Amino acid sequence: MIERCLIFLLFLTGFHAIIVRKNVIKKVFGLGIINSAVVILFILEGSRSGNSAPIIQPGVQDVVDPIPQALMLTAVVIGVCLTALALTLVYRLYTHSLSLHIDEIRRKIHDTTH
Amino acid sequence: MIILILALIITLSFYALQSRDLLHGTIALSAASLLSALLYYILHAPDVAITEAAVGAGVSTVVFVWVIRATKRKDDS
Amino acid sequence: MKKNKTDITKRKWFQITPGVVSEILPLLCVSAVLVPVFAISLPWPDQTKKYLFSSAILETGAQNLVSSLYLGYRAFDTLGETVVLLTAVTGAIMIIKSSVHTNNSYTFSQQNVPSKTRMLRTELLDTVTGKLGPVVLLFGFYVMLFGHLSPGGGFQGGVVIASAIVFLSLGSKSDGALVLTKPGVLLWIEAASFGAFLIAACAGMITGNGFFTNPFPSGFPAHAYIIFLNCAVGLKVGAGVSFLCIEMIQNKE
Repeated sequence: MIERCLIFLLFLTGFHAIIVRKNVIKKVFGLGIINSAVVILFILEGSRSGNSAPIIQPGVQDVVDPIPQALMLTAVVIGVCLTALALTLVYRLYTHSLSLHIDEIRRKIHDTTH
Repeated sequence: MIILILALIITLSFYALQSRDLLHGTIALSAASLLSALLYYILHAPDVAITEAAVGAGVSTVVFVWVIRATKRKDDS
Repeated sequence: MKKNKTDITKRKWFQITPGVVSEILPLLCVSAVLVPVFAISLPWPDQTKKYLFSSAILETGAQNLVSSLYLGYRAFDTLGETVVLLTAVTGAIMIIKSSVHTNNSYTFSQQNVPSKTRMLRTELLDTVTGKLGPVVLLFGFYVMLFGHLSPGGGFQGGVVIASAIVFLSLGSKSDGALVLTKPGVLLWIEAASFGAFLIAACAGMITGNGFFTNPFPSGFPAHAYIIFLNCAVGLKVGAGVSFLCIEMIQNKE
């Protein structure tokens, strides 16, 4: 129970970073932290149903459910794709506005389009 | 043990988000990823542990360091 | 200044309320939605675990149950994920390359300065990464090929191979003369392994079994198909991710 509270706190930390932080790279940090929190939650819940890794070997009886682990493999790889693409967009924003602060970027976009 | 590792991950994430130097934040995030890999191994998920270790300490950190080199290192806000 | 800010972005009402309230209110809304997810505890359903434990080896040939899932029972997810990886790498490279050509007035380094990555290279980096690269590459191939017997598989081996190729490109004294670190070779490997993956997926349709099913007759060892799929996925992931990293490292020149 307390582990789930800690994972919820991690999720809220990431979400707070996306809303509040003005630096764009800190916002991308927050995306990665949210991804981490959700993956930890799934693996933690999946590990309660057994007590050894899901590999069939002679002598192993009680294995953990392998379905959350298969889903989280995909989630981790997609998380890194998301981070890479978000950071190239940050790079492109920097080459146009020479700043990583979200308010200045917003002002420069407004100045060039109005 | 799980609670201790989770508390360390939360501490490192907090530090990464409020540090003035973005490179310090990247290293803290990479260390949090390594601790997550250890946590996945303890929770009987070795496949996810290998993927998270290779991705968090390898690819993700390389991309963050590239962006920080190409833009700015200090958080001015 | 404050009036300018409200004119520019046409803020909604919950963004005008000052400071702490505008930070706490979204967190409360997210908590109200997510607390039921984190607080409810139901007994974990066991039927799929028992079914997989008893019949995964017979139907897919893999002892690693996670491999039997993402390459056997849910192979369509793997196809979708490789497409997502391909899209991300393609999009990232396109955005990076187009920004170099369109911004002539803002350059990161002058034309006749020696490349920054060359100047920062030291003996320590050369020795450690150059000597460690082939070992990590071998480990990556081991993880990829033994995915159906022990923890490992396509994605895991693929990202380890990507790390090894980044090591080789950072540490080689011969300035990128290794074949594996040339971007053209990596693109060919990625395209060929994705093509092999698609051919292996469609091969089941030719022999009359269905999409993503084992095309070999039943006397053949069933895990040959899984090994082939693991290799295709691993090479694709490794080549794609390492191409992205190498383009980023060399783009700074």
